[in-house]
Amino acid sequence: MATALLTNEVLRRYLDLDRRPDALSIAMMAFGGIAAAIGFAWVFHDLWRWGHAAFNTSSDVAWGAPIAFYLFFLLSSSGLSVLASADSVFGMNVFHPIAKRCVFLAIVTLVAGFSILALEIGHPFRMLWALPVGMQWHSPMWWMGVFYSLDLLLLIVKFWRMHIGDWHSRFMHLVSIASFVVCILAPGTLGLVFGMMAMRPAWYSPVMPMYFILSGFMSALAFITFFTAFEPRASTPPRLRALHESVLPRLFFLALLAVAGMRFGQILTSLWSNYEGMEAHWHVLGSDAFRFELLLGLVLPILLLSTNGLRRNALVRFAAASLAMVGIFLARLNLLIVGQVVPLFKGYWADYVDYWPSTTEWMLIPAGFGIFCFAYGAGHWLLRLGDDPGPDPALAASPR
Amino acid sequence: MTRWGMVIDLEKCTGCQACTTACQMENSRLPNENWQDVLFYNEGTYPSGKLTWLPRPCMHCEKPSCMAVCPTGATYKTADGVVLVDWDRCIGCKYCMIACPYGVRFYAEEKQKSRPDIREVFPDPEGEKVWSPPWRMPDHLQNNKIGVGIQPKNVVSKCTFCYHRISKAPPGTKDLDPSDPTLREFTPACVVTCAPGARYFGDLDDPTSEVRRLIAEKRGTRLLDHTGNRPQVYYLAGEQPAIPETRTVRRSRDGEA
Repeated sequence: MATALLTNEVLRRYLDLDRRPDALSIAMMAFGGIAAAIGFAWVFHDLWRWGHAAFNTSSDVAWGAPIAFYLFFLLSSSGLSVLASADSVFGMNVFHPIAKRCVFLAIVTLVAGFSILALEIGHPFRMLWALPVGMQWHSPMWWMGVFYSLDLLLLIVKFWRMHIGDWHSRFMHLVSIASFVVCILAPGTLGLVFGMMAMRPAWYSPVMPMYFILSGFMSALAFITFFTAFEPRASTPPRLRALHESVLPRLFFLALLAVAGMRFGQILTSLWSNYEGMEAHWHVLGSDAFRFELLLGLVLPILLLSTNGLRRNALVRFAAASLAMVGIFLARLNLLIVGQVVPLFKGYWADYVDYWPSTTEWMLIPAGFGIFCFAYGAGHWLLRLGDDPGPDPALAASPR
Repeated sequence: MTRWGMVIDLEKCTGCQACTTACQMENSRLPNENWQDVLFYNEGTYPSGKLTWLPRPCMHCEKPSCMAVCPTGATYKTADGVVLVDWDRCIGCKYCMIACPYGVRFYAEEKQKSRPDIREVFPDPEGEKVWSPPWRMPDHLQNNKIGVGIQPKNVVSKCTFCYHRISKAPPGTKDLDPSDPTLREFTPACVVTCAPGARYFGDLDDPTSEVRRLIAEKRGTRLLDHTGNRPQVYYLAGEQPAIPETRTVRRSRDGEA
């Protein structure tokens, strides 16, 4: 009884249990809960019935859509961490009002990504001991595991400090710096997982880590734009309104331009090359997923955010963010396909590998997004994600 | 210390695929997941068209990229030069399948291309292994630590050079010659069964071994040497100008060869 009372008191101290959830929280929790339940039930049933043969992956296409979803969530998480560090590491106060929301979004996207990975990998529970015991420091995937575990830990600590009102202490500053360093290293290492593969010419590139970091930052901006597009204008303070309507859309626009530049360079180089394996790009060029990624996922959002008038329109920002999110997911899928579509050492009688995700693989989308939406809705209700204690008084007093 | 390696004489190989069948029977392989496969290539057009083939086991590289990328250490190299998978440590992340330049690693959880699905015809009653074939090696030879036997679910598998055989060879053996009755049971199944005798197996570090002699005198060639993996399987191409190419989708489709 005493334990229950104590637990109740502790919960009430840190969670806004007495506050009624707003419409957004209720909608997100309901949608997320239903989507996650359907998605997980579907995937668990298929995995129980057919094992991983329920996926359309094979010995030729070993990594399929689940890895694309995983990349989508993890890289977005890293980008959100970078955005959250703009204030706490670099003192860019303009980002203060969204810092806590970004950290929370980074945590829930990371959890959604890990959940999908657990369903894709052959032995997720064995992974928990085999990775640390193995100490395979020469494997980029091992380092990826190290950095993303650290990332999650640091994000939780950072969020906890923000939640209890400690935004400007020295400890918080150090945690923020560590979190920023790790959230650059983690997607960079994930880029190396692909970029180091010299035997897969369509992936092999020293620029891959930079592409992952940059495109993760772009998808993070899509996430935060998506979730702040419909904040009620009348009750939003001018400083926050300027952030939503001017600073974030401009940054989003620039990030889209940078990603488009890298992507076009990557595609042109690949199409020009005669090197064996690069013909995969010609093959992917004709697919609907590729056209959507480029035209609707990159070019159209750039056009939508190209003028001040358009950027001030919440509906336009929402549309640009939605398109960019779908586009960047398809970019991850196209990246995976292009590296594996030309079979390795199968003789002339083999053709391009035929791969498109199965229903089970697609059902990972409601599963992952369900977790994400439910957790975000709960956080929006209980965790005061819009906290803004103002700039660091120490910095404000300094003669910068 | 012995460093096992294989030499395949392409001038003797007839492409009969007996090696593939022997490997399937020895190692309980599923259809279409052949640790030892024979690849076919058609080159040129009528009237000068030509059919060639290439037997392809695991290369058991000196510097295996599959081992380098394995995040758990499940893929390892033995002191006698063989690359193996510890099925009890493999987490099924499939990174090794991405990193192997020769496409010789297999994950059995995929849709079968042939019908009926042999896994449903002969299911494992305990549900731990991929299937329970009616013909199999004796149960006491099943050894997950060296990836020998029937493949468990959700792990990656590959050719072991029949490690359950070669590891029992008498110390100091420099050539595992299947024509020698005393060594036959220690010789890899594909080498034993090869009717034209196109396969040789022996110690690459012994300068007096047959494999070393063949590599030196008949210009032994390794596949994709530019990757730096340094395979321990050598091909004798004889008068052929080169070994067939590796990724040839576009050329075969466009008739550029």
